[in-house]
Amino acid sequence: MDKIEAKDLNAWYDGNHVVKNVSLRIKSNQITAVIGPSGCGKSTLIRCFNRMHELIPGAKVSGKVLLDGEDIYDDSVDPVDIRRKIGMVFQKPNPFPTMSIFDNVAIGLKLNGVKDKKKIREMVERSLKMVALWDQVKDRLNDSGASLSGGQQQRLCIARALAVEPEVLLLDEPCSALDPNATSKIEELIVKLKENYTIVIVTHNMQQAARISDFTAFMYLGELIEYGETSRIFKQPEKELTEKYITGRFG
Amino acid sequence: MVRLLDLGIEKLNNMILDMAELSTKAVTTAIQAYTEGKDVRKEIFEWSEKLRFIQDEVSELAVELIARYQPVASDLRFIKSSMEITYGLSRFGRYAYDITTVLSMFGDLSKCDHSTIIKMADKVKVMICKSIEAFIKRDVELARTLSNMDDEVDNMYKEYVKRIIENKESNLRCSVSATLILRYLERIADHANSIGDKVIYIITGESVPRK
Repeated sequence: MDKIEAKDLNAWYDGNHVVKNVSLRIKSNQITAVIGPSGCGKSTLIRCFNRMHELIPGAKVSGKVLLDGEDIYDDSVDPVDIRRKIGMVFQKPNPFPTMSIFDNVAIGLKLNGVKDKKKIREMVERSLKMVALWDQVKDRLNDSGASLSGGQQQRLCIARALAVEPEVLLLDEPCSALDPNATSKIEELIVKLKENYTIVIVTHNMQQAARISDFTAFMYLGELIEYGETSRIFKQPEKELTEKYITGRFG
Repeated sequence: MVRLLDLGIEKLNNMILDMAELSTKAVTTAIQAYTEGKDVRKEIFEWSEKLRFIQDEVSELAVELIARYQPVASDLRFIKSSMEITYGLSRFGRYAYDITTVLSMFGDLSKCDHSTIIKMADKVKVMICKSIEAFIKRDVELARTLSNMDDEVDNMYKEYVKRIIENKESNLRCSVSATLILRYLERIADHANSIGDKVIYIITGESVPRK
């Protein structure tokens, strides 16, 4: 089943056309990796999936993005509601530095108007357990989020995104600032999370895309060059450009 | 700029070409020696061992390239196929040696009719050359021609065996020794066909179903 469908999606920054007529279907409960060289539009593409792109001054979007068949760019849709349903985690772990570990996870719930402290506590515990961080932080929930290691901080950020119970998780190079050990843990976590979430990950690391994703989209100069099952893309890509990129013969 | 992986792939390619040359020589020499009644066992055994040695080296290098560079797409297909192709080439050497042992097993076979063996050997030698040429030129169309030739060799073998069963070959020593040699040639043809399949896989990614 398709969770997200992009139809003739275009995106601009200050007149620069960075995503060009992209149409693709993101499958439910699957991991879709978006790969391509720097500046190919892959981060912009996923930012269009939760209306983050439009927050940038001078940014423009055309085309459609359907979430469960509903156009998220429809006038009647509240972008805040979309961003709650489609969470995002960024390249650099960005816990709120002045907040405790607990508050870093609870913040989304509080901003969404959840006041029941018991429920907040339950959700924080559940989210931290989901990212396998609970046992490491349960006795120091009041410590600063910044006191954690890089890998733990990134897991904290994923827990923060999960606390508001999204349906889709967008991950923009979530491991690029992490060491190999922390990267493996995040990868294992991502694969586990697909049971309950639809995941789209932008990555520069092709081996990471090959390791964890079910589907891979290759973008170049704003265009979607090839999209298909990861096992096929990495064994037998159809397009010469894809072949050149993934085998490192590019440019 | 040359990729680091390319250096390894080139080395693999050269090892395959070395094996191709030696294995062709082994089969040709063994068949000629058989028809001339010459004993070349020692020589062919050494070549066969050398082929096995290079095959092991290819496997080692292929695994190392996978571990170090995590190749994908056509690179991965080539590296995987290099192990399978060199297995086939190594088998050419082994069957060439097996052919040379027939003489020592059966003694003088100069009075036997060699015509079926010569006919099949000619076809098999063409198949070996075509499989190697298809690999060198990465020629999918040429590789595809091997399947029909393999069927022809299979049929020649089956027909010969049928003739023996129907007792049309009266000399037991001649018919048993010829059957062994034809069997070895038929296996060489299978491996040549398989090398063709690997060439197709390297270029297109298409796996040819086993017969």
